[in-house]
Amino acid sequence: MTNKVQEALEQVQAKEALKASTKELLKGERRRRTRVFRHPAVRGTLAAACMALFLILGIGGYSWVQTPVSYVSIDVNPSIELALNRLDRVVSATAYNSEGAEILKELSLKGKRYDVAIDTIVESAAMKPYLAGRDALVFTVASEGNREQGILMQAEHCMRHAGYVSTGVSADLALVSAAHDSGLSLGKYYAYLQLSVYDETVTPDSCKDMSMSEIHGMIEEHQHGGGHSEEGNGWHHGRPAMPEESYEQKEPKGHHGRGCHHE
Amino acid sequence: MRSEGEVNHAVDKYADTVQRICFCYLKNQADTEDVFQNVFLKYMLSDQRFDNEEHEKAWLLRVAINTCKDQLKSFFHRRMVPLDAIAELETEVSEEQGEVLEAVLSLPGKYKDVIYLHYYEGYSAAEIGKILNKKENTIYSLLSRGRGLLREKLGGDGIDE
Repeated sequence: MTNKVQEALEQVQAKEALKASTKELLKGERRRRTRVFRHPAVRGTLAAACMALFLILGIGGYSWVQTPVSYVSIDVNPSIELALNRLDRVVSATAYNSEGAEILKELSLKGKRYDVAIDTIVESAAMKPYLAGRDALVFTVASEGNREQGILMQAEHCMRHAGYVSTGVSADLALVSAAHDSGLSLGKYYAYLQLSVYDETVTPDSCKDMSMSEIHGMIEEHQHGGGHSEEGNGWHHGRPAMPEESYEQKEPKGHHGRGCHHE
Repeated sequence: MRSEGEVNHAVDKYADTVQRICFCYLKNQADTEDVFQNVFLKYMLSDQRFDNEEHEKAWLLRVAINTCKDQLKSFFHRRMVPLDAIAELETEVSEEQGEVLEAVLSLPGKYKDVIYLHYYEGYSAAEIGKILNKKENTIYSLLSRGRGLLREKLGGDGIDE
């Protein structure tokens, strides 16, 4: 198209100085934008370092929260053991016999505070029959940093609200792995150790299917030269000396609270 | 980001094209320089891949027109009359060419780009529609009205259909 408009516009041309200054400006802008932190390799390395840090913190945090530091063993005949993290939350609930498994089957305890978990177990329909009679209910607690007494006090509080008799025992944390190696809960293993003081023939396996009342009854028999305790399951009144202290309480039945936990 | 060689090649190749768009819209050297540099900065930073040179040129035209429009909205935009813009041209302009340029520059903005793209760059109405993101019918209408205004100013000479 040849016309006057085209001819006139043809006269409009970019000045060489403008082209040169533009090239220079773009060069400077490129340099500014490709400084060390903008270099792909450096950015990649930084991104990888951030990712690694994030992973380390994430994994570290997860492992901190998931590492059990306390164990609460709940033994009647059902044997259940709660592993607690540093925040007193349940990281695992393990049944050590079929009765315990039957109770846990219906419950979801992971992540709950231990007092809530204990309350849930004790109030569960599957547990009730075991608590209705005179079977011994024993809490055995092992924890890092002498926190056993606090946990036992809270467990006692729970039981008092629920209206059940219970016995509290604090155990050495070192017993936990030995108990698990024997296939027993901490509480039952502790009772086995007490019985083994009098009866060398007793084995963890033989205690596995015995209720706590039966084990305590045998301990009573040995302590009293074969006689029976007048209180039936009053093992805690005369048990043999063990390296760990125990905390005990007995409360009359009848009072049923609505839960003991602190939310 | 495009390579330095690629950017310098584009500056050499499309400098006049971008300059003409700036000239039509801005009418002064300072704004023209700003927009001119801005257009090629956008080109350097863009990851847009072009199918061919025509595609690349159309992209630059669109960016230049949009950048000019943005500049006109700017508070710092300096208002000048067409005569000042023509006076700032580096090349010698005859009296007649000066009149034509003045007529083009005095057109309302909506006609200037279609007149330029059609009469100088040789784009069809459909192509201009794609560049300006407008309907082809609208381009025909703008071209017709712009041509009419130019005829009025220039006395009907030298304006082909």
